[in-house]
Amino acid sequence: MANIIEVNKVSKQFNQREILKDVSFSIKEGSINGLLGPNGAGKTTIIRLLNGVIDPTTGMMKVMSFDPKKQGDEIRKRVGIVTESASLYHDMTAWDNLVFFSKIYGKYDTKRITHLLEQFDMLAYKDQLVGSFSTGMKKRISLAKALLHKPRLLFLDEPTNGLDPEGINEVIRYLHKVNQEEGVTILICSHVLHQLETICDSYLFLNEGRIVEKGAKKELEDKYLNEIKLLVETGLNPLNTQTYKGYTYSRRGTHQLEFILASKEEITPLLASILNETWVHNCEITNRSLEALYFNIRGGKGVE
Amino acid sequence: MNKNLILTIARKDMKATFSSKKVWVPMIIVALLLCIVVPAGIAYFGIHFDIVGNSAKDIEKPINAFIENFPNEDMRNTLIALPTLGYKFVYFFLTFMMIPFFLMLAIINSMVTSSNSFVGEKERNTLETLLFAPISIKDLFIGKVVASLIPTLSISFAAFIINLIIVNVITYPHFEVILYFNSTWIILMFWVIPILVLFNIILNVLISAKVKSFQEAQQFGGILVLPIVGIVISQASGMFFLSPLTLFLIGAVLLICNLFLIKLVTKFNNRNTLFQSQIH
Repeated sequence: MANIIEVNKVSKQFNQREILKDVSFSIKEGSINGLLGPNGAGKTTIIRLLNGVIDPTTGMMKVMSFDPKKQGDEIRKRVGIVTESASLYHDMTAWDNLVFFSKIYGKYDTKRITHLLEQFDMLAYKDQLVGSFSTGMKKRISLAKALLHKPRLLFLDEPTNGLDPEGINEVIRYLHKVNQEEGVTILICSHVLHQLETICDSYLFLNEGRIVEKGAKKELEDKYLNEIKLLVETGLNPLNTQTYKGYTYSRRGTHQLEFILASKEEITPLLASILNETWVHNCEITNRSLEALYFNIRGGKGVE
Repeated sequence: MNKNLILTIARKDMKATFSSKKVWVPMIIVALLLCIVVPAGIAYFGIHFDIVGNSAKDIEKPINAFIENFPNEDMRNTLIALPTLGYKFVYFFLTFMMIPFFLMLAIINSMVTSSNSFVGEKERNTLETLLFAPISIKDLFIGKVVASLIPTLSISFAAFIINLIIVNVITYPHFEVILYFNSTWIILMFWVIPILVLFNIILNVLISAKVKSFQEAQQFGGILVLPIVGIVISQASGMFFLSPLTLFLIGAVLLICNLFLIKLVTKFNNRNTLFQSQIH
């Protein structure tokens, strides 16, 4: 897969404040990427720079082989964006909003609008004012708006903000669908990590304007998972309160023990031993979640 | 310049203007009141009820003195020839004092629509999306200007035509001249007002692209009413007379100011500065 985005040593200063420092990364075409970091880390600034709506202080960028600084309109023609606020006209209907934006992108096509409304389960509400919609519905119309012109690249800035768990799952499902069916490369900015765990192919961790780590989850796991914390729901009640057959553990509940293992390879023999003695209802690695990795990265060498 | 894009933006804004009662109702009310009800009322009551005439003999002298010293000869002769003080007042008011009313209408209405343009987009969080779209800032500006220009001028022209018909129906039997059908008014309506409206709109769009809230934009815009108040006072005191030549020159000066403003707009409002000043 070719790189659709290439960012090389980009810095951005604004009012004498350094918002981005020496940022470099690349994104492969057709992938779903998470740009993660706390509020104020510079995630939104990166999206703005890549769209050419603001210019970098130093550094070089290429988006679909175009330079955002000089060929911003060429990029914007091929990019869809969902900003943090839904950015729709509340005094217009869903249909009128989509018609307006499709004309703005020079791609007015009622069939496409109908198709997208169907995809996002919003066709029944097309003649209602956007102002009367729930946050989730607005988000869906925003997504439809971003896809009107069949973009190659989709930027989403905190797409799940303000949504209930059901709404979040829906958005994640839609994004997956769009990526699979239309081959759109996606970059999602978020500070809510567990929501992105199931959807992203790779991650960029941003902290205080610097990329502190990047890679696929597997790569991050290999790098940062020095020990395995395994939570087991079992009837096991070892005589030794600290170790069981050489494996260190601590009790987390009546039937819950958390084992600290050196690697994943130790899981099978440990479970075999326990099953020899008693029942096991559940077991789970607790420190491999994106969030746990994120805190590992922040606490580790990545953060200066 | 992309004509379709400009029209799309203009149509969307005009639709928003006329779908919000809070915006279009005051615009129509101001037009109705200032440019139709006031002149029609003055014409009807001035002629039929002799409101100024006999009841106020003591003010007749200063008014006649004012007429005799009037700077414009045609107007002076016409006023002297009119039989009663009531007729003189009505004729003077309708042909002369109505000019600032029409200027005021154009300024107020263009201010309402134009100060809403960029600030309105910003307050709805839609400016960000528009700046992320493949449209040039120039097209966005022109679309916004067109969206303010068309409703303001339409209302001004409609008010003028209705005023012309109603006032003349009332006054023609008495004055035997068609009021407003002269070079002063034609230059005012079709030269000064369009240029003034354009000036006010560009200035407001420029201001609203710089300020942060709708209120701030309106306050800045409000300053523009001051010169008109000046004209009202100078007109009423007979200090200077808005002859066709004066009006033509006012239009020409405003036109030059427009060109200067457009240059300023293109200089200060590229996507980058607009984004950094407006989006947070």
